[in-house]
Amino acid sequence: MYIEKRILSIKDTQRISIFVSIVLLLLFIVLLFAFWNIQVLKCDYYKTLAIKNIYREIEIKAQRGLIVDRKNNIIAENRLNFSLFLIRKSIKDFEKTIKFINLVTNIDKEKILNRINKYKGYPGSYSIPIKKNLSLDKVIYIKSRFDEFPEFKIAIEPTRLYPYKRIGSHILGYMGEITLKELNREKYRTYNLGENIGKSGIEKQCEEYLRGINGVQIVLKDNLGRIQKVLSEKNPKIGKKIVLTIDWDIQEYIEEIFKDYIGSIGVVDLGTGGIIAIVSKPNFNPESFSGFLGIDEWNELINNPNKPLTNKFIQGLYSPGSVFKIVMALVGLQEKLINTSTVVNCYGSVKIYGRTFHCWNTSGHGPMDIYNALKNSCNVFFYTLGKKLNIDIIAKYARMLGLGSQTNIGLPNEKLGLIPTRSWKLEHLHQKWFPGETISVSIGGGLLNVTPAQVLLMISTVALRGNMPQLHIVKRIEENGKIVSTFKPIFKHVPIKRKIFEILIEGLFRAVNDEGTGRAAKVKGLDICGKTGTQPIISKENPNYERLTKIYRFKAHSWFASFAPRNHPEIAVVVFVEHGGDAGAVAAPIAAKIYKKIFE
Amino acid sequence: MNDYLKYLDKFTFIVIIIISLSGILLIYSVSQSLEQSYYLKQLLWLSISLIAFFIVLRIKTEFVFRSSLALFVILGIILSIQLIAGQIVSGTKSWLKFGFVGVQVSEFIKIPIALCIANILSKIRIIDWFTFCKLMFLLGIPFLLIAVQPDLGTAFILTSFIIISILLKRIKLSIIFVSIMFVIIGSFLSWNYILKPYQKNRIISFFNPEKYSQSSGYQIIQSKIAIGSGGLNGKGYLKGSQSKYKFLPTRHTDFVVSVLGEEFGFIGVSFLFLLFFILFYRQFNFKSKTDREFYFVYLFNFFILFQFLINVSMSIGLFPILGIPLPFVSYGGSSLLSFFIGEAIIFKIKINNYLEI
Repeated sequence: MYIEKRILSIKDTQRISIFVSIVLLLLFIVLLFAFWNIQVLKCDYYKTLAIKNIYREIEIKAQRGLIVDRKNNIIAENRLNFSLFLIRKSIKDFEKTIKFINLVTNIDKEKILNRINKYKGYPGSYSIPIKKNLSLDKVIYIKSRFDEFPEFKIAIEPTRLYPYKRIGSHILGYMGEITLKELNREKYRTYNLGENIGKSGIEKQCEEYLRGINGVQIVLKDNLGRIQKVLSEKNPKIGKKIVLTIDWDIQEYIEEIFKDYIGSIGVVDLGTGGIIAIVSKPNFNPESFSGFLGIDEWNELINNPNKPLTNKFIQGLYSPGSVFKIVMALVGLQEKLINTSTVVNCYGSVKIYGRTFHCWNTSGHGPMDIYNALKNSCNVFFYTLGKKLNIDIIAKYARMLGLGSQTNIGLPNEKLGLIPTRSWKLEHLHQKWFPGETISVSIGGGLLNVTPAQVLLMISTVALRGNMPQLHIVKRIEENGKIVSTFKPIFKHVPIKRKIFEILIEGLFRAVNDEGTGRAAKVKGLDICGKTGTQPIISKENPNYERLTKIYRFKAHSWFASFAPRNHPEIAVVVFVEHGGDAGAVAAPIAAKIYKKIFE
Repeated sequence: MNDYLKYLDKFTFIVIIIISLSGILLIYSVSQSLEQSYYLKQLLWLSISLIAFFIVLRIKTEFVFRSSLALFVILGIILSIQLIAGQIVSGTKSWLKFGFVGVQVSEFIKIPIALCIANILSKIRIIDWFTFCKLMFLLGIPFLLIAVQPDLGTAFILTSFIIISILLKRIKLSIIFVSIMFVIIGSFLSWNYILKPYQKNRIISFFNPEKYSQSSGYQIIQSKIAIGSGGLNGKGYLKGSQSKYKFLPTRHTDFVVSVLGEEFGFIGVSFLFLLFFILFYRQFNFKSKTDREFYFVYLFNFFILFQFLINVSMSIGLFPILGIPLPFVSYGGSSLLSFFIGEAIIFKIKINNYLEI
């Protein structure tokens, strides 16, 4: 038996017990207070953190609205594609990440850095788009390394697809990533960096309709970000459908016959003012913008002297040349300076204000009345008319017919052109107007600058005997098969007597059908009326004229403005060929083919 | 045997059982997300522990004290063998495998240590250098053996024996001064040469968890979120999002209190604390027949208290994360069994008081 000599007295142990009990009580009170502080006082704070841990809102990208032509052919649609995103906050080793992106996407390291830097102002959890249109093998490769690179995210995103590729590229335009500058605009208030917007064409013009409404999925996630439960889902809403007035069969046909030219063609339905085709050459493939365009591809588009990205139909500015004689004839008749019995003798040139002005037919046309002057495009007749006119009156009527102002056809960045007046010249060139300039203007030269669209509007107004149609390209907008809005044809009356238009039309009819300058446009049974325009780049007085006009860039521009049939006009066509040379030989036959195709 | 049961402190015993069962309740909750039936294993271990408890209750206290040194030596040898084996066969953990169950020897050595220290303290009036060396020897060897496993948490807890010894006995001042110097030098050396980066990170992040919220501070923050978001009433049993969606680390062992706080709220936490308070209060207030019995009860109870305080403080960020389980509650058979054996000795000592010997 163990007998111990006790050192501690009963009192000692009791004292210790009491002391320990008090300390114990205090300890537990402190602990409880610490838990009270977290669980009761700061409860809301931690509750939000707990919710932040598990709840995630996932944006589901909406598809962009379709674009279809007047026959419901789909010309812009969407394809689902894999895109690579980077989430900055999850990056472990920045260098490694950049290296990996470079390896997978072949994008320059510097470009990747620039890209990421652009998103500085965005939260670290924002998904920065790095690469679109990822191929399946790359997707698999990246996914296989997710453990190593948790900062990457692959999402399925709708990407724009243009089934007709280059056809109608200037009508459709192209898509591109929104820039920082664009983001600051009121129009793009609801957009975020990394989103795609329409950059030109209908894609830009109808951005607000085409853009869908993104869906949201609220999910519960675990600590590794794996989705455990979908709590709610709001489906994305596809953008509205844009129905164009374009007839894609005709568009395709014209692009085919025009493929070797540089220039522009516009075809309008005179019954409504709806555009049937707009061609601008050279064109581009809008799909190449849907991903990230390669530097070389972009440089080629930007530096090409023929400006493939410019829609020459509304953005190309050219002298109208002899096409302007239609306007001159109208001015002369309306101002009663000429009538149907006025005859001018053409000897190949005429001396006005001490300077000799040449006719294109150097041997002279002989006696010309207004009909034959239009038919033969006689310069001398119009020089003589021009001498009687002042520029401000010419400008007034030119504007009345739609020249020198936007047609508001419904495509972005349309050019104004220029119909000069005396006050304009004084204001912008700080010079007086010289009467000789009026003579140049009277055959469509000088300071005159118009777009093919304006010429199309002018010829349409003539064709409709003074009823100026509102040119347009969007026929209607639909949502879920229901029409949201429809374009109602608008015609504006030009205050000029019908009789005068009939005189002009007779001249234009003869130009095509009576061995005039536009005879190459003649199609049996169609009663096409038209006016050629061969606008020289260099003067005939130039000693090297013969030699230089063989060089492409010194060749004259060719115009042909026309409509058909004569009495109940249905279609107007404007053909413009850059440096095409003789309009009668180049532009007119192209128009003939188009009429044949449309009326066949 | 009937006498034992008659004088057994049934109230405290029931408190311990309730604490253990509440542990199993929490382990069941987290077993769902861990996809392992830890609660069944724990239930099995509780049964083993109860059997062990009643076996130990039958052993004479005198025998327990007498065999304590031998027990200490045996367990020390096993620990050493394990350590050497671990060096040779890499990956060998601090477990001894008995069929399907693994036993963590380091959990058990605290019992012979407490017994030996109680023996020593009962024979002296003041801790002199000689006694101090004996104490350091008793603690130092297991401390090192466990620390290099490396199981710093378990090793660290052993220091509680020194603290309570100093508090219970008078000690030579020179020892205190020298010890403090040793602690300072030791901390400096271990910080620079011994501690692994992750261990250092734990300590650094303790002082600034928000800065390391993605890495080493993650555990502290997630634990605080779990407890804080539980609020007054808790989110309900099995409904804790922090544990269900795996944001809480080691939620079946070190952070079991966080699960309790999240699912049962402040009320649940207070209830468990009340049970622990009763346990400690009852075990500290007793009449002892001998000094060594008195010292053992204090040493062992204080050890449990120390572990309890560190675990709980850790879960709300008041103490660095050391990887120490909550006594009786956290998953871990060895821990549970060792505490039940220790408690059995305490209960036995309390029974002795009523028995005429």
